[in-house]
Amino acid sequence: MTETRKDRRWRPTRRGFLIGLGATGGALLLGWQFGVPAARLKLAETFAKPGASFGSIEAAPTVWFTVAPDNVVTLHMPKVEMGQGIYTALGQIAADELELAWEQLQVVSADTLRGPVDSFGTTGSLSVMTMWQPLREAAATLRQMLLTAASQQLGLPVEQLTAEMGVVTPQGAPDRALTYGEIVQNAGDKWEVPEETPPLKTPADFRYIGQPMPRVDFRDKLTGVARYGLDMRMDGMLYGAAAYAPTVAGKLKSARPGDAANQPDVVQVVIEDDFAGVVATSRPAAEAALAKLELEWDDGPLLSMADIANLVSVGQGNATVIQKRGAAHRQLQAAEVSRQVRAEYRTPLAAHAHLEPQAALVHVREDRVEAWVSTQTPQLVQKTLAEVLGRDTEEIQVTATFLGGGFGRKAGTEAAVEAARLSRATGKPVHVGWTRAKEFRAGYLRPPTHHVLQAGLTPDGRVHAYEHQQASADVAFLFLPAAFRLVAGADFGATRGAPWQYAAPHVRTVAWRTPLPFPTGWWRGLGLLANTFAIESFMDELAYAAGEDPLTFRLKHLPEDETGTRLGRVLQTAADLAGWGSPSQGRALGIAACMDAGTAVAQVAEVSVEGKRIRVHRVHCAIDPGLPINPDGVAAQTQGAIIMGLSSTLLERVVVENGRIVHSNFDTYPLITMADAPDVQVEVIRSGDQPYGMGEPPIGPIAAAVANGLFALTGQRVRELPLVL
Amino acid sequence: MQLTINGQAYTVDDGDPNRLLLYVIRDELGLTGTKFGCGAGICGSCTLLVDGQATRSCITPLSAVAGREIRTLEGLAETDAQGNVIALHPIQQAFIQHQVPQCSWCMNGQMMTALAFLAQNPHPTEEEVVEAMSRNYCRCGCYVRIKTAVLATAEMLATQDATGGAA
Repeated sequence: MTETRKDRRWRPTRRGFLIGLGATGGALLLGWQFGVPAARLKLAETFAKPGASFGSIEAAPTVWFTVAPDNVVTLHMPKVEMGQGIYTALGQIAADELELAWEQLQVVSADTLRGPVDSFGTTGSLSVMTMWQPLREAAATLRQMLLTAASQQLGLPVEQLTAEMGVVTPQGAPDRALTYGEIVQNAGDKWEVPEETPPLKTPADFRYIGQPMPRVDFRDKLTGVARYGLDMRMDGMLYGAAAYAPTVAGKLKSARPGDAANQPDVVQVVIEDDFAGVVATSRPAAEAALAKLELEWDDGPLLSMADIANLVSVGQGNATVIQKRGAAHRQLQAAEVSRQVRAEYRTPLAAHAHLEPQAALVHVREDRVEAWVSTQTPQLVQKTLAEVLGRDTEEIQVTATFLGGGFGRKAGTEAAVEAARLSRATGKPVHVGWTRAKEFRAGYLRPPTHHVLQAGLTPDGRVHAYEHQQASADVAFLFLPAAFRLVAGADFGATRGAPWQYAAPHVRTVAWRTPLPFPTGWWRGLGLLANTFAIESFMDELAYAAGEDPLTFRLKHLPEDETGTRLGRVLQTAADLAGWGSPSQGRALGIAACMDAGTAVAQVAEVSVEGKRIRVHRVHCAIDPGLPINPDGVAAQTQGAIIMGLSSTLLERVVVENGRIVHSNFDTYPLITMADAPDVQVEVIRSGDQPYGMGEPPIGPIAAAVANGLFALTGQRVRELPLVL
Repeated sequence: MQLTINGQAYTVDDGDPNRLLLYVIRDELGLTGTKFGCGAGICGSCTLLVDGQATRSCITPLSAVAGREIRTLEGLAETDAQGNVIALHPIQQAFIQHQVPQCSWCMNGQMMTALAFLAQNPHPTEEEVVEAMSRNYCRCGCYVRIKTAVLATAEMLATQDATGGAA
């Protein structure tokens, strides 16, 4: 089932393009490396001509597109599908520029040896933004190559040909039309690569971009055909499980097999360095045997919740000024200031709680290593496995499967490393899938944060000076080398959403890096939810202090630039949707907004209280991602992010006692259900011809919108998540 | 031991009748449409139908299903002899029509729970749907669309019954 780079031979052509011959044939393949300008586009071609030989070269191109004789066009997807709809969104972009019929398009996951897997992984709401231009250029180049080939085959000038719906048709002679598949079959190895990137389509000609195209992965997912990491199976496969520390900061001191090897169905106990695991013929047997290992742990500091709060506080650790205009700190007490406002906010440790646990199937073979992993970062897995196994990167083939949720937690490599160690020890393919208890207790969590905000208001209710000091445990720093941390100072993950988007003469934002003695890292939106909760709750406090309506107060403080225009539009639109100013009887409205990954988003939450229970009935959201590639996908991401964010707003907090995470399952860490999920009304605004990020921005405002609604209703300002009355 | 799954007979090792149904189905029989989520019967990802009842297979021992009809996600659509899907079940159609899933890991459990519920209550109100579906987690937050699609499924199934079509 696997083809390595050695199986395919490539022939270099002029201008550095490559023509190749594959072990499997009958298709045109077009490839080039992620992030490389289109000028260095590489072309690879394979066809079913047994015996043809082009010799071998070292640098095989990555494959982006395959055009098969049956006219199925496959996009080898460098980004991971974890529910955000990236297969469909990038599929739309490719199909548009390639002039495909929608049904022609097939999207498959690239792997680290053959596909254009990008080095940064699928994180940060960056996929559409970063792929938009290169993908269009690659698709347009392939379209041009097909047209040129068809022109030669038909003996007609290119100008008389039209490429549409996967078919090249000569003017006035539809009976001579050729499908892309036929052109590929006819062409053999005669391909002309255009000297320059052909002109791209203009927005007026978009067929799929901007349309609510149906998701390409749903049929397989809803019929049980789609394979996720936990579903991967292979002949001769065994199941592995690895021990993890009972405390958050624990390390393995010593391990002995104990009775584990004598347990039923156990194949092998594997103890190496700081690793102890079991391989068995079934997953329950491996898990059960794990408990029989004799393990000694160095527990590390036995932290309490109070310890964690003390460690992650403004004033602890190192401070970096990340935003500065004027002299905010001094100006808080300037003569112009008639009123000072100060407030502190906190957000807690939280779990990712993706429902498909970490999972990997790894087969360490003599000639290569094959890995199918539920991962957002296949290339990081590849690099890590190379280090752990002492193998060349080029021997390690990682394929990202479908992910049953990622939310930043599947940027880790633990399950793949465990499976690789256990496979190397046994010589068999080993599958590792974590238990829910391990999901809660091992690996990294969303960091807690602390925020101190101060502002000075002028007598006419304008912000004269604003300061936000924010403390967070690490986010991006977990994944970066120490040298980079020194240079960067502030953790760009923790400060996501921290810079203030409003206008005032004096503004200062300070980030305190307050690392914890256990791992914290990516979580959907990184610091966005925490920072927006603090900033937008505080904006509400300032509005009340200034005696102004919270919407009006925000609009008056928008900068006079594109950010201000776009934020103003989403704020006004969300407010209009919600009927701002006239809430239903017994309910109140709260508003909040943010700008993230280039996308402007505002939300109005309609809130009521029943006893101590906070009810969120409706959320009205306006979102402007520039050019929405798939407006229904944008709406779906927005609805989902709001509901996930609401779960954090109302319910979620990881509790640590005596150095141990108390949760082993959802009984003590419940997630929001349909009973508490509001109706979510989304208005998608198209503001330009450049797409911006979508996976995370809409998780920003919801916590503040609810807290602000709660204040409007009860007069009680809750400054800590989850919100508790 | 014999199991009947999606109308087909499967023979499984009867060494340990306390083995959990989820692992037997996924790992021994290779039917991975039924998903693991929590292993404690809380999240609902592993829900399948046993004699039409929504059952959390991660806490159900093999012994409890002997001689009973099991239906999994793989058994919803109409398939040909090679297992290729010929026609989707109405609930699958509704979930596609309303573009319900995101990652879709929980959707097996959502659809199975909904089908068992709709068999008992073919004409539910929105509130009844919410009540029936509020023990299934969706971390991607697809609840708005799940509710819409379950209501749409009820209508499709009612129309089908009225016209005598097979479910």
